[in-house]
Amino acid sequence: MASRTKQKEEARARRLAEEQARAERARRQQRIYMLGGVVLIAIVVVVAGIIISTSGGSKPALQTGTKATATGNAVNQLLTGIPQTGPVLGNPNAQVTMTYYGDLKCPVCQEFTLQGGFSQLVSSDVRAGKVKISYAAFCTATCNGPDPNEFPLQQAAALAAGEQNKFWQFAELFYHEQGSEEDAYVTESYLDGLARQIPGLNFSQWKSARSNPNLTAEVTSQQNTGRQIGVSGTPTLIFRGPKGQAVPSSAVPTYAQLEQAIKQVS
Amino acid sequence: MTAAATNGVPAPANPDRRLRIIIGVLCLIGIGVAGYLTYTHYEGIKVLCLSSGGCETVQSSVYSKVAGLPVAVLGLAGYVGILITLAIRNDFGRVAGFGLALIGFLFSLYLTYREIFTIKAICQWCVSSAVLMTILTILTAIRVLRAESDVPAAPPARHSSTRAERRRIERRQAARR
Repeated sequence: MASRTKQKEEARARRLAEEQARAERARRQQRIYMLGGVVLIAIVVVVAGIIISTSGGSKPALQTGTKATATGNAVNQLLTGIPQTGPVLGNPNAQVTMTYYGDLKCPVCQEFTLQGGFSQLVSSDVRAGKVKISYAAFCTATCNGPDPNEFPLQQAAALAAGEQNKFWQFAELFYHEQGSEEDAYVTESYLDGLARQIPGLNFSQWKSARSNPNLTAEVTSQQNTGRQIGVSGTPTLIFRGPKGQAVPSSAVPTYAQLEQAIKQVS
Repeated sequence: MTAAATNGVPAPANPDRRLRIIIGVLCLIGIGVAGYLTYTHYEGIKVLCLSSGGCETVQSSVYSKVAGLPVAVLGLAGYVGILITLAIRNDFGRVAGFGLALIGFLFSLYLTYREIFTIKAICQWCVSSAVLMTILTILTAIRVLRAESDVPAAPPARHSSTRAERRRIERRQAARR
């Protein structure tokens, strides 16, 4: 009798153990399915993110019509009446010089030039003759982009405009009509289009100046100088004056931060 | 009070608790890294960088944003999200934590590829975040896979079916958690 009870208990224990094992297997399988689903979802999310991040920045570069007219007017309003000599904007005898290491395709330079403290610096301090700005080429966004060969092309085109003292009109228009750094949009027609938007620029003279190898050599020289003094990103702004040198810590300095640097060196 | 003290016998160390602590600490470090990058982005401050300007180059590249949102913000959201999933103590919480870590890991993998082959600059902050995400992915995966062994075996029927016995088992389980 006792052994019959024992047998029953053993059978029950076996049954329970089997049920438990089955439940465990089912649970493990369910978890593997869940993991598989999560891996698939994660892949879809990341691929979508990559597609968005690489395609979202594209925008048409050269402006036309009323938009181009409005941009032209804004640039003229900012620069008209301020002396220019090559890439230098402002009074050649100004006490303070701000060297602006930039890349015309760099979106952070665009942000500084169009939305940062640059415009106010030009309209007040540079216009007043207290500060002059000297632009120096330093390859960042273009060299990280699809075609680094665009860099000497675009920077030399600006220097060629500078031979007619319109470097800053060219640079300002470039920043206003900048495309995505992911795109190789700096073509001959793009550069020609920008040059044609500059009032008073002798187009054929600009075109022939562009073929001068000295301009490309100048771009390389500016880049090398930048490297030697430790420039690593753009925009890098170096203020020099009677009291020494100052570099704003912000990547996109406000006018107040620029003013502080000017005070430090003058 | 420890499980050992409750039961009067030495309780086995709870591996899930240990994992949750490690994951929590890693998340806090990640929040620090991503938080710093987010702060410098919105304040327009240059990032402190050990290599010559690598961080600045990476931060100013087109790959530093997804749909206009800085990747640092996405990273911050990811670390906070993983931290929140630690508070959800069921399969959903474990799997959601793993999912978030895996998304972060895969995206870090892509960004590291871009840093090396496209931007040709290395940002230590990004690398440290990528390493954190890799470790988090491994740990959260272990948490999901180990979950089944953490589940206490069902009490043998009948023999432990008295109310007092059930309460004792429940107390023991609660102490282990």
